[in-house]
Amino acid sequence: MPPKMQLIEMREALRQAMDEEMTQDESVFILGEEVAEYNGAYKVTKGLLDKYGPKRVLDTPISELAFAGLGVGAAMTGLRPIVEFMSFNFSFVGCDQIISNAAKMFYMSGGRFSVPIVFRGPNGAAAQVSSQHSHCVEALYSNIPGLIIVAPSNPYDAKGLLKSSIRNNNPILFLESELDYGLKEEIPVDEYLVPIGKAHVVHEGNALTLITHSHMVNVCKEIVADFAKQGIGIELIDLRTIKPLDLSTILKSVQKTNRCVIVEEGHWFGGIAAEIGFEINEFCFDFLDAPIARVSQKETPMPYAKNLEAETLPNSRRIKETILKTLE
Amino acid sequence: MTFFSPDPTLSKEQAALKLAKRLGDKALIEALEQMLLIRNFELRGEAAYQQGLVGGFYHSYTGQEAIQTACVAAFGQNHWYTGFYRCHALALLLGATPEELMAELYGKATGNAKGRGGSMHLYADRLLGGFAIVGGHLPIACGAAFSLKYQGKKDQLSLCFMGEGAVAQGAFHESLNLAALWDLPVVFIIENNQWGMGTHVSRSICTETIADRQAESYGMKSYLVNGMDWFESYLAFEHIYREVLETSRPVLVECVCERFRGHSISDPGLYRTKEALEAAKAKDPILSLKSDLIAQKLIDEKQFKELDKKQREVMISAMEFAQKSPAPATTSLEEDVYAP
Repeated sequence: MPPKMQLIEMREALRQAMDEEMTQDESVFILGEEVAEYNGAYKVTKGLLDKYGPKRVLDTPISELAFAGLGVGAAMTGLRPIVEFMSFNFSFVGCDQIISNAAKMFYMSGGRFSVPIVFRGPNGAAAQVSSQHSHCVEALYSNIPGLIIVAPSNPYDAKGLLKSSIRNNNPILFLESELDYGLKEEIPVDEYLVPIGKAHVVHEGNALTLITHSHMVNVCKEIVADFAKQGIGIELIDLRTIKPLDLSTILKSVQKTNRCVIVEEGHWFGGIAAEIGFEINEFCFDFLDAPIARVSQKETPMPYAKNLEAETLPNSRRIKETILKTLE
Repeated sequence: MTFFSPDPTLSKEQAALKLAKRLGDKALIEALEQMLLIRNFELRGEAAYQQGLVGGFYHSYTGQEAIQTACVAAFGQNHWYTGFYRCHALALLLGATPEELMAELYGKATGNAKGRGGSMHLYADRLLGGFAIVGGHLPIACGAAFSLKYQGKKDQLSLCFMGEGAVAQGAFHESLNLAALWDLPVVFIIENNQWGMGTHVSRSICTETIADRQAESYGMKSYLVNGMDWFESYLAFEHIYREVLETSRPVLVECVCERFRGHSISDPGLYRTKEALEAAKAKDPILSLKSDLIAQKLIDEKQFKELDKKQREVMISAMEFAQKSPAPATTSLEEDVYAP
């Protein structure tokens, strides 16, 4: 019998993940700005206050440093907090708690105190929200040993990965995309998990490996479909987890296609693409038939104007041009 | 400056005598022993540092012993404790052995944190750590209190020590607001030793008294405590313990004290005059407890010397343990970055 399916949005998939884990584990709770009475700025926590009450679903003041750190302290003392940042850009106000406390605690304490906590919320650009609400944080935080960074691109992965993240005993940054909250997909009704640290080959091909994550997967899917129509098979890899990086899936693909383009919504300098490119260079340089190329966000803060925003982000035109050049 | 006393009708001496009678000889001698344990640990640790056996930073608790000794005696160990980088004493008081702590300072595999934390990051079952970003541990203490409340452990509290320098940090204010807003049972304890490294408190905090002014703005109670006196500290902490157990509300405590050493071992303390340092040392909490106990005929000078000698020997043997212990295996370098 085929599994029973449901057509749901990304935000509902995320909500279900939290709901299921809260039902199974009393120590799981949610805190953040507007997560309770307002039902979440993006409605990801909708209905959870009604179901679990104010003990387990808590509205915080606009005080990221305090509530991120409170979460870390609670995680060190037996609870499993889910901290929602209304935007990951607001995590900068509290990032000392993520970097100095959450990430380093297990190691620094000689393995005495683990920090099972999930920080989740929208990351990167939405639509015209300008410089201070659009930054992609994955390159910044992936520089910190001790953190796990997850960035799903679809409802199926979002649900399975969030459940795995809540059960994990380490600090996890779970990066969502505001632009994808409304993305719909059929996913199983029954419980399932998606493992952390495994990339997903979205589309197989032999001509070139296209690597990306989060919202950019959805941009790249259309491009890959266009190339397929022209008979050019592009292998699209959705990283799903940025740290730990699933290097074996990447290397296997590049060894097959011998060409690679990396697309990243965040900036060029010191980006995820820079890291992946270097790893490919280290481990399968001899397999490459063309220089590794990348399409990233240009080195500007995010502008407000629609046309400028579209130009600084990796867009279809720039991605296609880069693929064609790499295929030459 | 008027320090807190639960019974202002009694003189300082009367209150101390009354407390001594109530606690009994054993508890008082234990307090003195603990303070000597801390003092000797710091003496030996600094000596080891000077010999090049200890690296990194070294922040001595010498001079401030009465505060944490009295606090742990009054509250007991069965709470969540959070400390800052001057954390040797708190780890000792919460059950870490001199051997494991000294081995940690020496950077050995047998160390308290496997040689990964060093002087500023020490732990015990109920000590969430020495934290080395000023003020960065206050939200952690709030989290520990949150857990206790969530888990319904009404007989336990969260205790958080900090220096007065932490008061200028945003984390201080956000934590006090959240703790007060959510009725978190946190006892925030400022150890005001008046110097944030080489900057006097008058050049870092905009009000002369700290706890009363800050607590008022967060609707919390505050206490100003003589941190140089074990009896006064104990009486205050005992009172605060009962109160917070009952109210489950955060409180802000300011223990006025002096450190006898520099901010860290590399600080010669040139910002302090010799006279000021001598005046501070005249208030030595160990000598003061000793003379109180001698006055009450609980010990004599000879017995005090024996107690001190005993702790010195404990430390010498801890140093030998540390010296003999192996360095962490380089193969263990990448272990424990992630929890299983």
